[in-house]
Amino acid sequence: MTMERLDLFRVLAAVRRDQIVITTMTATLQWPLVSEHELDFDFLAFGMGHASDFGLGLALARPERKVIVLKGDGGLLMSLGSLVTMGRYGPPNFLVFLLENASYEMTGGQQFAPDVDFVTVARGAGIEKVERIEDLVTVEAELPRLLAEPGPHFVVLPVTNSEPLPPVAHTDHAGRVKDLRRALGVG
Amino acid sequence: MSGASAARTLELIKRLGFTDVVSIPDAESRHLYQALIDDPDIDVYLPTREGEGIALAAGLWVGGRKPFLLIQNTGLMEAGDALRGCGIGPGIPLLLLVGWRGYPGAMKGLLPIDSAYPYTEPLLDAWGLPHRQLMGDDDLDVIEEMATLAADASKPAAVIYGHGFRQ
Repeated sequence: MTMERLDLFRVLAAVRRDQIVITTMTATLQWPLVSEHELDFDFLAFGMGHASDFGLGLALARPERKVIVLKGDGGLLMSLGSLVTMGRYGPPNFLVFLLENASYEMTGGQQFAPDVDFVTVARGAGIEKVERIEDLVTVEAELPRLLAEPGPHFVVLPVTNSEPLPPVAHTDHAGRVKDLRRALGVG
Repeated sequence: MSGASAARTLELIKRLGFTDVVSIPDAESRHLYQALIDDPDIDVYLPTREGEGIALAAGLWVGGRKPFLLIQNTGLMEAGDALRGCGIGPGIPLLLLVGWRGYPGAMKGLLPIDSAYPYTEPLLDAWGLPHRQLMGDDDLDVIEEMATLAADASKPAAVIYGHGFRQ
Protein backbone atom coordinates (compact mmCIF):
# COMPACT_ATOMS: atom_id res chain seq x y z
CA MET A 1 0.00 0.00 0.00
CA THR A 2 1.00 3.61 -0.46
CA MET A 3 -0.43 7.02 0.33
CA GLU A 4 -0.69 10.17 -1.71
CA ARG A 5 2.06 12.47 -0.52
CA LEU A 6 0.12 15.71 -0.44
CA ASP A 7 -2.60 14.05 1.62
CA LEU A 8 0.08 12.90 4.05
CA PHE A 9 1.39 16.45 4.35
CA ARG A 10 -2.10 17.78 5.02
CA VAL A 11 -2.57 15.28 7.84
CA LEU A 12 0.79 16.15 9.38
CA ALA A 13 0.31 19.90 9.04
CA ALA A 14 -3.05 19.63 10.80
CA VAL A 15 -1.51 18.28 14.01
CA ARG A 16 1.89 19.98 13.92
CA ARG A 17 2.28 22.77 16.50
CA ASP A 18 5.69 24.06 17.69
CA GLN A 19 7.87 21.34 16.21
CA ILE A 20 10.68 22.24 13.81
CA VAL A 21 9.97 20.68 10.40
CA ILE A 22 12.91 20.21 8.05
CA THR A 23 12.11 19.43 4.44
CA THR A 24 14.33 18.65 1.49
CA MET A 25 14.41 17.88 -2.21
CA THR A 26 11.48 16.97 -4.45
CA ALA A 27 10.06 14.65 -1.83
CA THR A 28 8.92 17.66 0.14
CA LEU A 29 8.49 20.45 -2.40
CA GLN A 30 4.76 20.37 -1.67
CA TRP A 31 5.11 21.00 2.07
CA PRO A 32 4.75 24.80 1.67
CA LEU A 33 1.38 24.18 -0.01
CA VAL A 34 0.02 23.02 3.32
CA SER A 35 2.23 24.80 5.86
CA GLU A 36 3.43 28.33 6.48
CA HIS A 37 5.22 28.27 9.82
CA GLU A 38 8.26 30.08 11.20
CA LEU A 39 9.73 26.73 12.26
CA ASP A 40 9.58 25.25 8.75
CA PHE A 41 13.08 24.94 7.34
CA ASP A 42 13.72 24.19 3.68
CA PHE A 43 17.02 22.29 3.52
CA LEU A 44 16.97 22.06 -0.28
CA ALA A 45 20.45 22.67 -1.75
CA PHE A 46 22.12 22.62 1.66
CA GLY A 47 23.88 19.34 0.89
CA MET A 48 22.58 16.26 -0.85
CA GLY A 49 21.42 13.57 1.52
CA HIS A 50 22.18 15.51 4.69
CA ALA A 51 18.80 16.83 5.87
CA SER A 52 18.54 14.35 8.71
CA ASP A 53 22.16 14.97 9.73
CA PHE A 54 21.35 18.67 10.02
CA GLY A 55 18.15 17.80 11.86
CA LEU A 56 20.05 15.60 14.27
CA GLY A 57 22.31 18.51 15.14
CA LEU A 58 19.32 20.76 15.68
CA ALA A 59 17.60 18.19 17.87
CA LEU A 60 20.71 17.77 19.99
CA ALA A 61 21.02 21.53 20.37
CA ARG A 62 17.34 22.06 21.20
CA PRO A 63 16.24 19.18 23.41
CA GLU A 64 13.09 21.01 24.48
CA ARG A 65 11.65 20.97 20.96
CA LYS A 66 10.73 18.13 18.62
CA VAL A 67 12.58 18.13 15.32
CA ILE A 68 10.81 16.42 12.42
CA VAL A 69 12.68 15.61 9.21
CA LEU A 70 10.80 14.82 6.00
CA LYS A 71 13.15 13.29 3.48
CA GLY A 72 13.15 10.91 0.55
CA ASP A 73 14.68 7.48 0.32
CA GLY A 74 17.01 8.58 -2.47
CA GLY A 75 18.45 11.19 -0.17
CA LEU A 76 18.92 8.62 2.56
CA LEU A 77 20.89 6.40 0.22
CA MET A 78 23.29 9.29 -0.32
CA SER A 79 24.14 9.32 3.38
CA LEU A 80 23.14 5.88 4.59
CA GLY A 81 25.72 5.98 7.35
CA SER A 82 23.69 8.73 8.98
CA LEU A 83 21.39 6.01 10.30
CA VAL A 84 24.27 4.68 12.37
CA THR A 85 24.91 8.15 13.75
CA MET A 86 21.22 8.55 14.51
CA GLY A 87 21.24 5.18 16.24
CA ARG A 88 24.10 6.24 18.45
CA TYR A 89 23.28 9.89 19.19
CA GLY A 90 19.63 10.39 18.25
CA PRO A 91 17.87 12.20 21.11
CA PRO A 92 14.26 11.65 22.26
CA ASN A 93 13.05 14.75 20.40
CA PHE A 94 14.11 13.51 16.94
CA LEU A 95 11.65 12.10 14.40
CA VAL A 96 12.49 11.17 10.81
CA PHE A 97 9.77 10.43 8.26
CA LEU A 98 11.28 8.63 5.30
CA LEU A 99 9.13 9.18 2.20
CA GLU A 100 9.69 6.06 0.17
CA ASN A 101 9.18 5.92 -3.58
CA ALA A 102 12.31 4.03 -4.70
CA SER A 103 13.27 6.68 -7.21
CA TYR A 104 15.22 9.90 -7.74
CA GLU A 105 12.19 12.06 -8.36
CA MET A 106 14.05 15.35 -8.80
CA THR A 107 15.98 14.13 -11.81
CA GLY A 108 13.18 12.38 -13.64
CA GLY A 109 12.14 9.45 -11.51
CA GLN A 110 15.01 7.10 -12.16
CA GLN A 111 14.37 3.91 -10.22
CA PHE A 112 16.94 2.58 -7.80
CA ALA A 113 17.00 -0.82 -6.12
CA PRO A 114 13.27 -1.42 -5.48
CA ASP A 115 13.57 -3.90 -2.66
CA VAL A 116 15.60 -1.98 -0.10
CA ASP A 117 14.13 -2.71 3.33
CA PHE A 118 14.74 0.56 5.15
CA VAL A 119 13.10 -0.69 8.33
CA THR A 120 15.62 -3.50 8.61
CA VAL A 121 18.49 -1.21 7.65
CA ALA A 122 17.51 1.34 10.29
CA ARG A 123 17.11 -1.31 12.99
CA GLY A 124 20.43 -2.79 12.05
CA ALA A 125 21.98 0.64 12.37
CA GLY A 126 20.95 0.75 16.01
CA ILE A 127 17.71 2.76 15.92
CA GLU A 128 15.24 1.10 18.26
CA LYS A 129 11.97 2.83 17.41
CA VAL A 130 11.49 2.01 13.76
CA GLU A 131 8.19 1.43 12.06
CA ARG A 132 6.54 1.32 8.67
CA ILE A 133 3.09 2.79 8.13
CA GLU A 134 1.45 2.07 4.81
CA ASP A 135 -1.83 3.97 4.78
CA LEU A 136 -3.05 7.42 5.61
CA VAL A 137 -5.67 6.32 8.13
CA THR A 138 -3.02 4.68 10.27
CA VAL A 139 -0.72 7.68 9.93
CA GLU A 140 -3.50 9.92 11.19
CA ALA A 141 -4.09 7.60 14.13
CA GLU A 142 -0.42 7.25 15.04
CA LEU A 143 0.74 10.85 14.61
CA PRO A 144 -0.28 12.08 18.09
CA ARG A 145 1.75 9.25 19.62
CA LEU A 146 4.75 9.89 17.38
CA LEU A 147 4.74 13.59 18.23
CA ALA A 148 4.38 13.02 21.96
CA GLU A 149 6.32 9.84 22.64
CA PRO A 150 10.07 10.10 23.30
CA GLY A 151 12.11 8.87 20.35
CA PRO A 152 14.19 8.95 18.35
CA HIS A 153 11.76 7.57 15.77
CA PHE A 154 12.40 6.49 12.22
CA VAL A 155 9.19 5.98 10.26
CA VAL A 156 9.01 4.68 6.70
CA LEU A 157 6.05 5.96 4.68
CA PRO A 158 5.54 4.64 1.14
CA VAL A 159 4.20 7.47 -0.99
CA THR A 160 3.00 8.29 -4.47
CA ASN A 161 2.39 11.64 -6.05
CA SER A 162 -0.10 12.63 -8.72
CA GLU A 163 -0.09 16.38 -8.07
CA PRO A 164 1.99 19.03 -9.88
CA LEU A 165 5.18 20.10 -8.13
CA PRO A 166 5.97 23.68 -7.15
CA PRO A 167 9.17 25.15 -8.60
CA VAL A 168 12.51 24.40 -6.97
CA ALA A 169 14.20 27.28 -5.09
CA HIS A 170 17.98 27.20 -4.68
CA THR A 171 18.29 30.64 -3.17
CA ASP A 172 18.82 32.54 0.06
CA HIS A 173 20.48 29.90 2.20
CA ALA A 174 21.72 32.50 4.66
CA GLY A 175 18.25 34.00 4.97
CA ARG A 176 16.70 30.63 5.75
CA VAL A 177 19.25 30.09 8.52
CA LYS A 178 18.75 33.56 9.97
CA ASP A 179 14.98 33.14 9.96
CA LEU A 180 15.13 29.83 11.81
CA ARG A 181 17.62 31.10 14.38
CA ARG A 182 15.42 34.13 14.95
CA ALA A 183 12.39 31.90 15.41
CA LEU A 184 14.34 29.82 17.91
CA GLY A 185 15.58 32.89 19.75
CA VAL A 186 19.21 32.15 18.89
CA GLY A 187 21.78 34.79 18.00
CA MET B 1 58.34 20.26 15.35
CA SER B 2 56.46 17.42 16.99
CA GLY B 3 52.97 18.81 16.83
CA ALA B 4 50.87 20.77 19.27
CA SER B 5 50.03 19.80 22.82
CA ALA B 6 46.61 18.18 23.00
CA ALA B 7 46.12 19.54 26.52
CA ARG B 8 46.98 23.10 25.53
CA THR B 9 44.78 22.85 22.46
CA LEU B 10 41.86 21.62 24.56
CA GLU B 11 42.39 24.46 27.00
CA LEU B 12 42.26 26.94 24.16
CA ILE B 13 39.18 25.31 22.62
CA LYS B 14 37.36 25.65 25.93
CA ARG B 15 38.48 29.24 26.44
CA LEU B 16 37.05 30.08 23.03
CA GLY B 17 33.67 28.75 24.14
CA PHE B 18 33.33 25.70 21.91
CA THR B 19 30.68 23.33 23.19
CA ASP B 20 30.83 20.40 20.75
CA VAL B 21 33.22 18.70 18.39
CA VAL B 22 32.19 16.62 15.41
CA SER B 23 35.10 14.45 14.45
CA ILE B 24 36.36 11.57 12.45
CA PRO B 25 39.87 11.65 13.86
CA ASP B 26 43.02 10.77 11.99
CA ALA B 27 46.05 9.14 13.54
CA GLU B 28 47.65 12.54 14.16
CA SER B 29 44.64 13.87 16.08
CA ARG B 30 43.96 10.83 18.24
CA HIS B 31 45.46 12.37 21.38
CA LEU B 32 43.37 15.52 20.99
CA TYR B 33 40.30 13.39 20.25
CA GLN B 34 40.87 11.43 23.44
CA ALA B 35 41.36 14.62 25.45
CA LEU B 36 38.06 15.90 24.07
CA ILE B 37 36.33 12.63 24.92
CA ASP B 38 37.68 12.81 28.46
CA ASP B 39 36.56 16.38 29.01
CA PRO B 40 33.08 16.67 30.54
CA ASP B 41 32.47 20.14 29.12
CA ILE B 42 32.74 19.20 25.45
CA ASP B 43 30.26 16.93 23.67
CA VAL B 44 31.88 14.69 21.06
CA TYR B 45 30.10 13.24 18.01
CA LEU B 46 31.68 10.70 15.71
CA PRO B 47 29.74 10.51 12.42
CA THR B 48 30.37 7.99 9.66
CA ARG B 49 31.59 10.46 7.04
CA GLU B 50 32.77 14.03 7.09
CA GLY B 51 29.96 15.45 4.96
CA GLU B 52 27.49 14.04 7.42
CA GLY B 53 29.55 15.62 10.19
CA ILE B 54 29.49 19.08 8.62
CA ALA B 55 25.70 18.93 8.31
CA LEU B 56 25.42 17.77 11.92
CA ALA B 57 27.67 20.61 13.07
CA ALA B 58 25.64 23.10 11.06
CA GLY B 59 22.48 21.91 12.81
CA LEU B 60 24.14 22.27 16.18
CA TRP B 61 25.16 25.83 15.35
CA VAL B 62 21.75 26.82 14.03
CA GLY B 63 20.32 25.49 17.28
CA GLY B 64 22.61 27.70 19.34
CA ARG B 65 25.63 25.53 20.09
CA LYS B 66 29.23 26.32 19.12
CA PRO B 67 30.72 23.27 17.40
CA PHE B 68 33.97 22.74 15.56
CA LEU B 69 35.15 19.95 13.30
CA LEU B 70 38.22 17.78 13.65
CA ILE B 71 38.79 15.85 10.42
CA GLN B 72 41.46 14.84 7.96
CA ASN B 73 42.05 16.56 4.61
CA THR B 74 40.83 13.46 2.79
CA GLY B 75 37.54 13.74 4.67
CA LEU B 76 37.34 17.42 3.81
CA MET B 77 37.60 16.47 0.16
CA GLU B 78 34.75 13.99 0.56
CA ALA B 79 32.66 16.63 2.29
CA GLY B 80 32.72 19.23 -0.47
CA ASP B 81 28.99 19.37 -1.11
CA ALA B 82 28.15 19.59 2.58
CA LEU B 83 30.77 22.29 3.12
CA ARG B 84 29.32 24.25 0.21
CA GLY B 85 25.72 23.78 1.27
CA CYS B 86 25.92 23.76 5.06
CA GLY B 87 28.85 26.12 5.56
CA ILE B 88 29.75 28.50 2.79
CA GLY B 89 26.30 29.05 1.27
CA PRO B 90 24.34 29.79 4.42
CA GLY B 91 27.25 31.58 6.11
CA ILE B 92 27.72 29.24 9.03
CA PRO B 93 30.96 29.94 10.92
CA LEU B 94 32.37 26.45 11.26
CA LEU B 95 35.93 26.13 12.52
CA LEU B 96 37.64 23.22 10.77
CA LEU B 97 40.73 21.61 12.27
CA VAL B 98 42.07 19.64 9.33
CA GLY B 99 44.76 16.99 9.41
CA TRP B 100 47.24 17.54 6.59
CA ARG B 101 47.85 13.99 5.42
CA GLY B 102 50.95 13.84 3.28
CA TYR B 103 52.62 16.91 4.74
CA PRO B 104 55.30 15.22 6.88
CA GLY B 105 56.31 12.88 4.07
CA ALA B 106 56.46 15.69 1.55
CA MET B 107 58.64 17.74 3.88
CA LYS B 108 61.03 14.83 4.16
CA GLY B 109 61.15 14.51 0.39
CA LEU B 110 59.64 11.06 0.44
CA LEU B 111 58.33 9.81 -2.88
CA PRO B 112 55.77 9.30 -4.11
CA ILE B 113 54.07 12.32 -2.59
CA ASP B 114 50.69 11.54 -1.06
CA SER B 115 48.21 13.25 -3.40
CA ALA B 116 46.19 14.44 -0.40
CA TYR B 117 49.04 16.83 0.42
CA PRO B 118 49.22 19.17 -2.59
CA TYR B 119 45.47 19.54 -3.05
CA THR B 120 44.66 20.67 0.47
CA GLU B 121 45.52 24.36 0.44
CA PRO B 122 44.45 24.99 -3.19
CA LEU B 123 41.14 23.35 -2.40
CA LEU B 124 40.52 25.65 0.55
CA ASP B 125 41.56 28.59 -1.62
CA ALA B 126 39.13 27.51 -4.33
CA TRP B 127 36.33 27.52 -1.78
CA GLY B 128 37.43 30.96 -0.63
CA LEU B 129 38.06 29.73 2.88
CA PRO B 130 40.73 31.35 5.02
CA HIS B 131 43.25 28.94 6.48
CA ARG B 132 46.40 28.87 8.60
CA GLN B 133 48.96 26.21 9.42
CA LEU B 134 49.45 24.71 12.87
CA MET B 135 52.75 22.92 13.30
CA GLY B 136 53.39 23.19 17.04
CA ASP B 137 52.59 24.98 20.26
CA ASP B 138 54.01 28.25 18.97
CA ASP B 139 51.24 28.34 16.34
CA LEU B 140 48.28 27.66 18.61
CA ASP B 141 47.06 31.22 18.30
CA VAL B 142 45.97 30.47 14.73
CA ILE B 143 43.04 28.54 16.19
CA GLU B 144 41.72 31.68 17.84
CA GLU B 145 42.50 33.72 14.75
CA MET B 146 40.50 31.38 12.49
CA ALA B 147 37.65 30.98 14.99
CA THR B 148 37.33 34.75 15.24
CA LEU B 149 37.55 35.20 11.49
CA ALA B 150 34.89 32.56 10.91
CA ALA B 151 32.52 34.29 13.30
CA ASP B 152 33.22 37.78 11.96
CA ALA B 153 33.00 36.78 8.30
CA SER B 154 30.14 34.28 8.75
CA LYS B 155 31.85 31.46 6.92
CA PRO B 156 33.97 28.42 7.66
CA ALA B 157 37.69 28.83 8.32
CA ALA B 158 40.36 26.16 8.61
CA VAL B 159 43.44 25.34 10.62
CA ILE B 160 45.59 22.72 8.91
CA TYR B 161 47.75 20.73 11.29
CA GLY B 162 50.87 19.26 9.78
CA HIS B 163 52.25 17.21 12.67
CA GLY B 164 49.17 16.44 14.70
CA PHE B 165 48.75 16.65 18.44
CA ARG B 166 50.97 15.08 21.07
CA GLN B 167 50.01 13.92 24.54
